[in-house]
Amino acid sequence: MTVGEHIGHRIRDLRTRYNNDEGISQETLASELNVAANTISRWETGIYIPSVPDLVKLAKFFGIPITSFFPPEEMESENSDVLALLRQAKHLNPDDLEELIKYAEFRKARRIYKGRSRPKAGRKSQKK
Amino acid sequence: MNLSSDHYELKALARRVRAENGLTSARVLQTDLRRIYFNYGIEIDYWPYPFKTIRGAFMCDDIGTTVMLAQNLPNDPMVFTMAHELKHYLTDRHLKLSYCDQSVFSKAIEIGAEVFASEFLFPDHLFIEYMNRLNVKRNLCTQRTLVDLKLQTRTTLSYAGLAIKAERLHYASPRSLTRLKGWRNLEKLQSKKV
Repeated sequence: MTVGEHIGHRIRDLRTRYNNDEGISQETLASELNVAANTISRWETGIYIPSVPDLVKLAKFFGIPITSFFPPEEMESENSDVLALLRQAKHLNPDDLEELIKYAEFRKARRIYKGRSRPKAGRKSQKK
Repeated sequence: MNLSSDHYELKALARRVRAENGLTSARVLQTDLRRIYFNYGIEIDYWPYPFKTIRGAFMCDDIGTTVMLAQNLPNDPMVFTMAHELKHYLTDRHLKLSYCDQSVFSKAIEIGAEVFASEFLFPDHLFIEYMNRLNVKRNLCTQRTLVDLKLQTRTTLSYAGLAIKAERLHYASPRSLTRLKGWRNLEKLQSKKV
């Protein structure tokens, strides 16, 4: 399974299990994330891979770390000294520390994402 | 090395980086800093989610060299934070992580970053030059003087930063300016006069 497919399956899983398995429609999720209605479907089927900022939005919406969209073996292969340091930080405001850890996870996710993403299918060249 | 000689060197570093990047005035813009970051290979992320006290963070590890900036910062604090984080890149990379919030301002390393940023945005020698031009004598700098100075130079150093500088360079007595508020209101009044 590719990273894109893994992310797609994860989004579908989160969406269908949302709110104690009640689920949320693709349209409603798209509206919540301020993206086009068919984008969610394209993410889930792996036609498009969400950008890292889109993954941040998804992570915020579902209340999960951005790293959980990626295969565990991919995340483990990336070291981040910063994340280790942040987990030891004690004097920061707890909310700020949590947000800073999310940012550090975002960096890590982006690193994995780079080189994995591919051009969007069907994108036409811009007219001059 | 004692604190004052450390700060002296940080100021010299700030002036050197300014010179290397063609900055000659007290008006340093976000675009100037973005260009410098780009040249150093520092990636900038404007983080859209709110922090309570954090304005920026510098991170440097296997993942890369990045600066996170709280997206909702107004222009002057944004420029100052970018200059502050630049100091961390230049001198504190070995620490791998620095964040700029009110709780760590007492740490020597963070004070150093504040000193660097202040000099980077408005070097002392330039400030003294303007004070001389405005004919401001020792201990006689007022709130209005600094508002006029900001309007004339269009500096991106905040009023708080200008007040600290004026007091430190003895153009105003200690706490005579830094405790004041209402800078923006005075600026509006002065702008109308101009």
